[in-house]
Amino acid sequence: MTQKWIVAIIFTIPALLCSFLLSAQPVPAQQHHPMTFFVTSATIGKGGDLGGLAGADAHCQALATAVGAGNHTWHAYLSTQARGDQPAINARDRIGQGPWYNAKGEMIAHGLADLHGDTLELARLGNNVNKLTALTEKGDIVPGLNDNPNPEDRKWAYASTHPNSDRHEMLTGSHTDGRAYTEAKDHTCNNWTSSAPGNGKTIQGNTGPAAQVGLSDRNGGRNGSWNSAHATRGCSQDDLAFSHGVGLFYCFAVN
Amino acid sequence: MMRIRSAALPFVLTIFCGSCLLLAQQAPVKRFAGPGSMTFFVTSVGLGKGGDLGGLAGADAHCQALATAVGAGHHTWHAYLSTQARGGQPAINARDRIGTGPWYNSKGEYIARGLADLHGDTIELARQGTNLFKQSALNEKGQVVNGAGDTPNVHDILTGSQTDGRAYSDDKDHTCNNWTSSGAGSAQVGHSDRIGGGNTSWNSSHATKGCSQKDLESTGGAGLFYCFAAH
Repeated sequence: MTQKWIVAIIFTIPALLCSFLLSAQPVPAQQHHPMTFFVTSATIGKGGDLGGLAGADAHCQALATAVGAGNHTWHAYLSTQARGDQPAINARDRIGQGPWYNAKGEMIAHGLADLHGDTLELARLGNNVNKLTALTEKGDIVPGLNDNPNPEDRKWAYASTHPNSDRHEMLTGSHTDGRAYTEAKDHTCNNWTSSAPGNGKTIQGNTGPAAQVGLSDRNGGRNGSWNSAHATRGCSQDDLAFSHGVGLFYCFAVN
Repeated sequence: MMRIRSAALPFVLTIFCGSCLLLAQQAPVKRFAGPGSMTFFVTSVGLGKGGDLGGLAGADAHCQALATAVGAGHHTWHAYLSTQARGGQPAINARDRIGTGPWYNSKGEYIARGLADLHGDTIELARQGTNLFKQSALNEKGQVVNGAGDTPNVHDILTGSQTDGRAYSDDKDHTCNNWTSSGAGSAQVGHSDRIGGGNTSWNSSHATKGCSQKDLESTGGAGLFYCFAAH
């Protein structure tokens, strides 16, 4: 009897250990990674005037703090253009080295190279920013193209009262490589201080203030770029809404 | 009066021609919509035998039949699929089978101007990506193809191709034995909704688990593929 028990135990313990090890092997990828990337859940509300980079960074930090992620240093993914004596600042140089994870612990990119497609193969593959991963700090999906479409959804009066209308445009002021524009034309709403309306009825017709935007859902803009799909019609809140934006942007944890 | 007119004429003509050129430079975002002008679609149904499509010929015939059913049979349709070099037969690249574009979906929305932007042949084109995404990668009936988050998710699109649209040159199977296997092997797939696989590739996101219909379904597929009008 006791011999049988001993034999049983000798066989059972290694078997249990093995199965434990096997089941432990798959990394529970979603749990160990605190949030280091999000899309702002709320707009500042003054069009392209974010209070400069400092104001935008503070917005990131405040939203992160409200959900218990204030222990990181947060920066907005925004470039500024060279103006006066001030050199240009590249969005990609402001966000640390990665890897970055969303509120669910899903990886957005390993680092700057795959985030921006620094090699041809990385660029073709693309990063992991998409509609289901580009979540707000609260873990919510940002409404995108053809979500609850309405003829009025290109007006701020409608978008401001319909939180589920398309708002997939992210302010970046950047080229696809994450760097600032070097030409005189405005791509940053005067370095994120302008809420002035554009001077045209269309995006192409505007030669005044504007911001370059990317698409968090990768749908639209004729290319689906996450960080540099097209320009806005101007810098007022209404101009942003005209092409389905409300003035949201990406926030990255620098550390 | 006469003098002013004759002086103004060259200016007006110049401006007029200038705007013509400007307009012509940009590929039209939309053109007349309808099945007749469609030159790209995702198959609304698969062939139901996993990775066995009856080879390239069988897949092309499927494209042609689906297109014909919606009144677009006047084009020559090819499936966007590569095959690998096997037994003396050279590899075939998907990108070499689909003409030169531009391609439009059934709503008249353009998918790509040509092979270069479809595949990101330069780093800037690659970073921007194509206009192929969930809301534009429609089936021949003009419907959005179910993607991640939808039930069932069928966004895994068979391609057997690398991101540049070319065939694999290694020995490993990436084409369900050149689209004849519904058992052993594996196929490379892209995502019609650009979601999943840790990347946003439309044509080369990951490999399937196997080649049976069940294998395809297990990772969010139904054996669908892209069809392009070669001319």
